[in-house]
Amino acid sequence: MKVLGILVVIMVSLVSCTKKSQVNDDTIYGVIDANIKGLDPIQAADNYMIKAVSQIYEGLYHYHYLKRPLQLEPQLAESLPTISPDGLTYTIKIKKGVYFQDHEAFPARKGRELTAHDFIYSWKRLADASHKATGWWVFDGRIQGLNEWRQELSQGKVNYDSPISGLTAKDKYTLEIKLTKAFPLFEIMLALPPTFAVAREVVEKTGNEFLNHPVGTGPFLLKEWIRNSKIVLEANPNYRTELYPNEGEDVDRELSRLEDAGKKLPLAKKVVIQIMPERQPMWLSFARGELDHAIIPKDNYSQVFNGKTLREDIRKKGIQILNQPRPDVTFIGINMEHPILGKNKYLRQAMAMAINNQISIDTFYNGRGIPAQSPLPPGFRGYKKSYKKPYDFDLQRAQSYMIKAGFPDGKGLPTFRFELTNASSWSRQMGEFLQQQWAQIGIKIKLIPNNWPQFDKKLKSRQAEIFFMAWTADYPDSENFLQLFFSKNISPGPNNFNFVNRDYDQMYEKMSLLSPSPERLALIRKMVQLVNEEVPAIFLLHRVFRLPYQGWLRNYKEYPGINDFYQYLRIDLERKSKLKPKL
Amino acid sequence: MKSSVLKTHPSLNRLCHNPVALFSALMISLYLALALFSALGWIATDFQTIANDRSYQPPSWEYWFGTDLFGRNVLSRAIHATQTALLVGLFSTTLATVLGLFFGSLAGYFGGRTDDLVVWLYTTIDSIPYILLVSAFAFMLGQGILNLLIALGLTSWIQLCRLVRSEFMKHKAQDYVQAAKALGAGSRRQIFRHILPNVFHIALIQFSLIFVNAIKIEVILSYLGLGVEPGTPSWGMMIDDAKLELHQGVWWNLGAATFFMFFLILSVNLLNDSLRDALDPKWHRPTSSKN
Repeated sequence: MKVLGILVVIMVSLVSCTKKSQVNDDTIYGVIDANIKGLDPIQAADNYMIKAVSQIYEGLYHYHYLKRPLQLEPQLAESLPTISPDGLTYTIKIKKGVYFQDHEAFPARKGRELTAHDFIYSWKRLADASHKATGWWVFDGRIQGLNEWRQELSQGKVNYDSPISGLTAKDKYTLEIKLTKAFPLFEIMLALPPTFAVAREVVEKTGNEFLNHPVGTGPFLLKEWIRNSKIVLEANPNYRTELYPNEGEDVDRELSRLEDAGKKLPLAKKVVIQIMPERQPMWLSFARGELDHAIIPKDNYSQVFNGKTLREDIRKKGIQILNQPRPDVTFIGINMEHPILGKNKYLRQAMAMAINNQISIDTFYNGRGIPAQSPLPPGFRGYKKSYKKPYDFDLQRAQSYMIKAGFPDGKGLPTFRFELTNASSWSRQMGEFLQQQWAQIGIKIKLIPNNWPQFDKKLKSRQAEIFFMAWTADYPDSENFLQLFFSKNISPGPNNFNFVNRDYDQMYEKMSLLSPSPERLALIRKMVQLVNEEVPAIFLLHRVFRLPYQGWLRNYKEYPGINDFYQYLRIDLERKSKLKPKL
Repeated sequence: MKSSVLKTHPSLNRLCHNPVALFSALMISLYLALALFSALGWIATDFQTIANDRSYQPPSWEYWFGTDLFGRNVLSRAIHATQTALLVGLFSTTLATVLGLFFGSLAGYFGGRTDDLVVWLYTTIDSIPYILLVSAFAFMLGQGILNLLIALGLTSWIQLCRLVRSEFMKHKAQDYVQAAKALGAGSRRQIFRHILPNVFHIALIQFSLIFVNAIKIEVILSYLGLGVEPGTPSWGMMIDDAKLELHQGVWWNLGAATFFMFFLILSVNLLNDSLRDALDPKWHRPTSSKN
């Protein structure tokens, strides 16, 4: 009887414990879908490392959390840079009163104030060839004297205290950067993780272990990191006063994303980022309410959606969907070095007109996509909603262009090889679809499944005849898409179409030296028109991701480029205690 | 003269009076007819016709096995896939049989070094798991129906080779071969004229076994993306499609592929059993020996 009594007491206390912890747990449970190699900003090249590093470290600039298209705003800088009229000298004021997180490397274990010298040290570290930093491309050849310093450092002629002509600290809070040549996108580079500020004392104290001991100025500090399992972050007590934005898009007001406007960041005290490379377990954890946001595996799509709308049972659980238009474009590329395809413009135009793009979007992307009229996704300079590409789906016109091309009904054409990026069923079905579309005008293709390295090799060695792939923006500027057609970038560079056009090159070179202006915009539009006329690529769509998140997660608006988003998120405890039992 | 011998040949007689054998032969002929007629374009002509507005229609009187992702008639595709299956089955099995007979008779008849070499070859190949081996061959040769049947042919001859080798060893020492040798028959004559006809029933039985296996492997390889070219109707490809569709309740691609596969494999297996009963005297059932 006594034992039974004790058992009852234990049971009751256990039940009340779990209930209590559910209600009070305002920790954010995030997820990254790949293993993280380390937390060193200069090595952050893939999306996953970037996401992890960006919670702890900060750069001079970052993007406004809510505004779209992305808008650059100061993070550690006080304001946007002052640029000299020749576009070569950038003067940047740094915020005062920014402190590093506490660490034993600092005197009395207290984090010290950030200065302009920290950026100079951090960027020298990025340039140090012995680190083999994956982020070096950001500054390579762009800052006066930095490449020379890199060279001389590897020869042992200079050290970290040697001056660099293009990088100087005018005073404790003023940074002056001199460029080798004008580069209007330079400030965008200053928002990329490799340029984030690290503290010299910590790097020197921890040595090779630095990548496991991140100490930054950001909203969170690393509490625990279990490799391939989870990263636990806690709010940084030294964090300066940064406030939740009070402006956004209309949709942010509708979805109550502006309710926290003016509140001190980070909103959450603790963030646990689970590392889950497998989609299926990720989805199951999300469905049990153990994750606050996730990715829907393709095969589980119909468990969540009824066609395009959310299923009733999912809606009842309070699960929300974030529609995320991607800054990308999927396309069919044509190798312009091919003796028939490259020389016959009418043939390429006919191929473009034979594809019913809407069917491919409905069939293969569950209707999630914006038909692409050019390489530029919505929100990029030069994108115009009313613009339509000149060679869109029109079967009759396609047939007449086949006659113009000299191959009526495809007579006399060989079977072309069509390279698929992988051997998945989805990819094969997409290939079969294109096979059928082109068969209508007599063009025959043979589908060749590859794995990614094989595919990449074929592109780089110019063996691919026709291929299917996507390009996602590295930074939010149209230049990143337009460089795909610049002749100096032909394979093994990113111009896998091997498209060479002198007019285009001239316009590109001119455009890349201009700052945003009507003149630059006009050039971009002309370039787009030229690419659409020559058809080295048939643009298909800009993808729209649908990311599910729990009804109790507030302010969720993840987007490529915005990596420090965890500081804006908050758990609505009332909703969580109401919704969690329903899962 | 010859025809009368055939007519009264006890094996054929036994086969013709076995209802199971007759049924399976009929079924196989039906499959052959389906393959032939669809290849000639007489039936199932709409296997490539796409109509995206009727994607994933469930089975109905118009479409017995429904439609697939692109609105193509699944029944027509399953019928066309018969061509692929039979083509792969027949050609790869012929190749494997020729190889098996060739190496088996060489090893069994000549013995010594030749035997060592052949035994070494087939034990080496046999030590590699079959699916891995055939995938490796298919991967090496690339995709396509021709490469697929070569890959299957090159990897399926071992069992036959082993059986033929042991039969040749046995027959070589028998009186009729010794007599032929004494009369001056050369190796070629002994092998082709005397021993081979007496071991041929083994090849016939093995043929049907390899045939069944080849059809199954084609399906597996196509499912894995190593089989026939994408776009060619194939049961394996249909099952691969079904992988993405089953959770939506679209079962008919899988249904049609397995339905067609089931009856073909069943028929060939039954015919194989009947053949073995008819050809191998040791396998006679007590009832049939009384007759």
